Amino acid sequence: MELTRELYWNVGHSVLIPMYLLVAAAFGVLIWGLRKRLAAYRLGQPLDRTDQRGERISGVLRDIFLQARVLRVKGAGSAHGIFFFGFVLLTIGTTLVFLQADLLDPLFGVRFLTGNFYLFFSIVLDLAGLAAIVMLLGLAVRRYLLRPKDLPNVGDNALMLGLLLAILLTGFLLEGARMAATELGTDLSWWSPIGLLFAQPFAGMGETAQRSVHTGLWWFHFALVLGFFCAIPFTRLRHLLLTPTNIFFRNLGPTGKLRSLDLEDEEAESFGAAKVADLTWKDIFDGDACTYCKRCQDRCPAWNTDKPLSPMKVVNQIQEVSFDNPEANLIETVTTDVLWSCTTCRACEEICPAAIEHVSKIIDMRRNLVLMEGEFPGEEVTKAMESAEVNGNPLGMAPAARADWAEGLEVADLAAGETAEVLYFVGCYAAFDKRNQKIARAFVQLCSAAGVKVGILGKEEKCCGEPMRKLGNEYLYQMLAAENIELIQSTGVQKIVSACPHCFNTLAKDYVDLGLELPVEHANSFLAELLQSGKLKLKSENLDCTYHDSCYLGRHNELYSAPRQLLAAAGASIREMEKSRSESFCCSAGGGRILAEENLGERMNQTRAKMAAETGAATLVSSCPFCMSMFEDGIKGADLDEQLKPLDLLEILAERIEA
Amino acid sequence: MKALLVGEYREGKLLESSYELIGFAQTLGAEFELFLVGSTDQLPQVDGKLHLADVAAAGEFNPALHKQLVLDAAQKAGADTIVFLHSSYGWDLAPRVALALNAAQVSEVVEAAADGYLLPACNSKLRRTVKATTDRSVVTLQVGAFMAAEPGGTPQVEELSVAAGGNTEFGGYEQAEAGEVDLGKAEVIVSAGRGVGKPENVAMIEALAKALGGEYGASRPVVDAGWVPHDRQVGTTGQVVSPKLYVACGISGAIQHLAGMKKSEFVLAINTDKDAPIAEIADVLVVADIKQFAPALTAKLVG
Amino acid sequence: MNILVCIKQVPDMESRFKVDAAGTWFEESDLAWRINEYDEFAIEQAVQLKEQLGDADLTVLSIGPARLKEALKKALAMGCDRAVHVVDAAAHEKDPFQIASSIAAFAKDKSFDVIFTGMQSQDRGSGQVAVLVGELLSIPSLTTAVEFALEGDTISVRRELEGGLKAVVKAKVPALVSCQLGLNTPRYPTLPNIMKAKRKELLEVPVADLLTEEARLETVSLAYPEKKGSALVLEGEVGDLVEKVIGILKEKTAVL
Repeated sequence: MELTRELYWNVGHSVLIPMYLLVAAAFGVLIWGLRKRLAAYRLGQPLDRTDQRGERISGVLRDIFLQARVLRVKGAGSAHGIFFFGFVLLTIGTTLVFLQADLLDPLFGVRFLTGNFYLFFSIVLDLAGLAAIVMLLGLAVRRYLLRPKDLPNVGDNALMLGLLLAILLTGFLLEGARMAATELGTDLSWWSPIGLLFAQPFAGMGETAQRSVHTGLWWFHFALVLGFFCAIPFTRLRHLLLTPTNIFFRNLGPTGKLRSLDLEDEEAESFGAAKVADLTWKDIFDGDACTYCKRCQDRCPAWNTDKPLSPMKVVNQIQEVSFDNPEANLIETVTTDVLWSCTTCRACEEICPAAIEHVSKIIDMRRNLVLMEGEFPGEEVTKAMESAEVNGNPLGMAPAARADWAEGLEVADLAAGETAEVLYFVGCYAAFDKRNQKIARAFVQLCSAAGVKVGILGKEEKCCGEPMRKLGNEYLYQMLAAENIELIQSTGVQKIVSACPHCFNTLAKDYVDLGLELPVEHANSFLAELLQSGKLKLKSENLDCTYHDSCYLGRHNELYSAPRQLLAAAGASIREMEKSRSESFCCSAGGGRILAEENLGERMNQTRAKMAAETGAATLVSSCPFCMSMFEDGIKGADLDEQLKPLDLLEILAERIEA
Repeated sequence: MKALLVGEYREGKLLESSYELIGFAQTLGAEFELFLVGSTDQLPQVDGKLHLADVAAAGEFNPALHKQLVLDAAQKAGADTIVFLHSSYGWDLAPRVALALNAAQVSEVVEAAADGYLLPACNSKLRRTVKATTDRSVVTLQVGAFMAAEPGGTPQVEELSVAAGGNTEFGGYEQAEAGEVDLGKAEVIVSAGRGVGKPENVAMIEALAKALGGEYGASRPVVDAGWVPHDRQVGTTGQVVSPKLYVACGISGAIQHLAGMKKSEFVLAINTDKDAPIAEIADVLVVADIKQFAPALTAKLVG
Repeated sequence: MNILVCIKQVPDMESRFKVDAAGTWFEESDLAWRINEYDEFAIEQAVQLKEQLGDADLTVLSIGPARLKEALKKALAMGCDRAVHVVDAAAHEKDPFQIASSIAAFAKDKSFDVIFTGMQSQDRGSGQVAVLVGELLSIPSLTTAVEFALEGDTISVRRELEGGLKAVVKAKVPALVSCQLGLNTPRYPTLPNIMKAKRKELLEVPVADLLTEEARLETVSLAYPEKKGSALVLEGEVGDLVEKVIGILKEKTAVL
């Protein structure tokens, strides 16, 4: 017996014409449906996302065909991945059938679905189908029986699961009916084990009955497939097309760099986003590409401390407004409490399987609130803004006292004409806050020990503008940044280091748009290099600690290993928190929230302090003055001060300088 | 110096602070007469001449009319220095009198020195010494800066005739609503920090505040913990305060807190850690456990 | 309606003050400058009144050196229609009477219906200029306002007295109102208004054109009181500490 099967068995080649006509019609519906969606995307502002195509395409291949992003989450992510691979194999199988039956055989008489290859083809498709069904059932159990908290359930979900399951099951039934009539009792049937199982109910029927059931099933299966294509633009199945597209159009960085506004634009009537038309087309497309998987929401520190912000919902609301009511006030829809709750920690963007950019949308809406309405989350923030304007720091401290922390240390005042190898950009918290001044002193001591001469801008340094910018005050940010840049350029210094991740990220990425193009490093990587080159020598002394990855070091800049290397060199052993590295949980100070009162929900800094305490470590190490301020309060607030002490990495290193 | 002291009278009562004017005149050894828009039922207990205008006719608030009455009294007394308290009554009335007399006004005097009057400048960070170049002068005294004279004696009342007049209308008084605490206006604030240990101990801070005649407040961690209502939080994210006396109880002194209370005139800190940042801006740092110190101080004050 | 708001630019009170060589004022280096806090309430109230009336013209005036352009620009961005900069490089040497006289000289033929000022300045705090301007212009002055309303031609103000007490006082326009903290919430200027402010009229008037009066006050000296920053540290037994503290509070504060 030949190892193959008759393609178009029973239904015959006469179905070809109606079949292709119907498929063409279904694709027509699909394209028509998608085109209708284009109108909504076109509401947005222009944005070029077609550069670096190679990188874009390889990202799509990695994240779609290897499911790289999806597989980062175990459970549902794995199930989706396995289902996807199964479905892809089935699609490949169907394509092979099409190739042989409709092209190669009729035109050239070529048949390749024979022999061992056919056996392989047969068993692979059978198992792929089985895997896909099992995964779908698993996902259905999760969604409808286990019911994960806050997972949005709409009719689309049932339709998607049901339709896919029905297509797979009818496929197997179809195979079963065919096998009952043609393969039962042959060795060949063992190469289609699932089909064999499905053939059993049909086994007792006569061939005529088998054939008529098969015909019915074939058309039913085909109708379901047509329905699947037609449903794509109108249901959440659209993610099949939009998610890969969105990954192609993704933001290629630098991560966490915000779009600069042209504030001198005389034509501009409005700044920031109050309506969807103020956003970019990509922001609207993001909304349509969302798969409602709630991974962002699960990781959002605001959502997890009972604040009203869910990054997913913000993205969904943008989508809803774009399609249903594009003239509506977006900020009213999203609400200001939601917008002000964001710490810009990027946990949402980091995990999103569709590469959605949540943070910039929130910032755009904040920009509108601040620049057009003069509105802030609270009076304390307005006051901080005014202080930054007048005093150059949001704390309202005397500018003349900015360099007091450096008294007695070997630092050059670059603003006063002295020279140094590197500019240490101190930042407001390390400059003025007594607790954080220890970090600044530690950094200078470490540099001195490594023979690096450090300079500062002294009392002329201004706030880098980061909290203002993240809170939407682009005007004040640009003012402060311009002053800093002019001053830095006048010193002629060639390299900048900051021990504050917020200053670092801002100087390194955001200042570029305003004309600063010097290399900027964070103290951690700077010191790690000095350690490696042997210039910095550390004593190894035991320390039992846990390490908090600051959002602006970790997720925004992927500096995960430098601090750990330094800690290891210092003799510290780290007990990692469950949420560490790219999964780190924000201390609450990001996004300008350091200036704002936390009036809603639980206190984020206490939540994080508790996570640190759970490791059993006695020291909570961080690398950020903002984090330090938050942990000093959070540890006390959570009543953990007996067991947990916050220290900055630099303080630990400075204690271990080898004389 | 021949001083006319302008006393204060409100809601049918002579204000106690009026005795500070007498204290001032006595400190300087100046000859003085008194002026009051008030009533014979509420005379200041002091020997000397009192130019009294009947409040029933002149009203408690009628600056234009009161100005004329002060001028009349000043003329009668032959005063070269008209002294007010730097209060809502005094700072409103004094410039009117000064201008009418072509006299210089020296505001919010805290001390009289040989070369002039000492005034606070820049939120009391600095002291300015100022003197008038005119023959006559008007002075307003910072409330509480001069020791009040002990009441005693009977004034010799000289009634001033009150003519109708004025360009303003008085519509009555309103008491502040209870509830919301405005620490910004409190003269004494006793604040609880984490050092108080547990919520039950806030009561001892409240008791100390009461004993000192002030309000109690708290630092952010204490408010965040829910031990003290939010309207009592002192700091940049709560209320910015500038009382005459600030007592920081078990507050180490986070920057947000310091920025909110550093304008206080006198800071007493109680802390177990003498290196706590609060020591930087405290006038006195008591190294003690607040849980022992506060009840002991309260007991002594209530006595 | 014609509205005037008078403002002063003062150093931020957190600044590190250094007494100048003459020993009568502070050096201007290292200072951060801002609008006197009380005057921000005055500007806000003036802008709110203009918004309430619709048809009103709002002028902001300040006396001082070139640096106060920043303060005037902010006032314009908050909603004033034009700014008047009375240029005086030595404004800090003028006494309240001279400042008030200059303002009154500017205002006397402009028929302002309402004049707003702050209750006092943060650096000198004399609290005189407002009332003096009113007196010089012979219009009623309502001081220390924590609430303001204009109905018809009557201004109604809640004056803040001591101990939480307030007084309702009224006057007919033209009148002057001095503003106390808490009168309103001064707005944060929006970007379009900051941009518009750059194109608004900014009139410069030399102080000599307005001021003819001699000073009535002379500053003898300016100095730091006792040095702060080094706390007196008390240690010992609680009973003794309580005694010491009570002694200090009696001596150093007016509280006990």
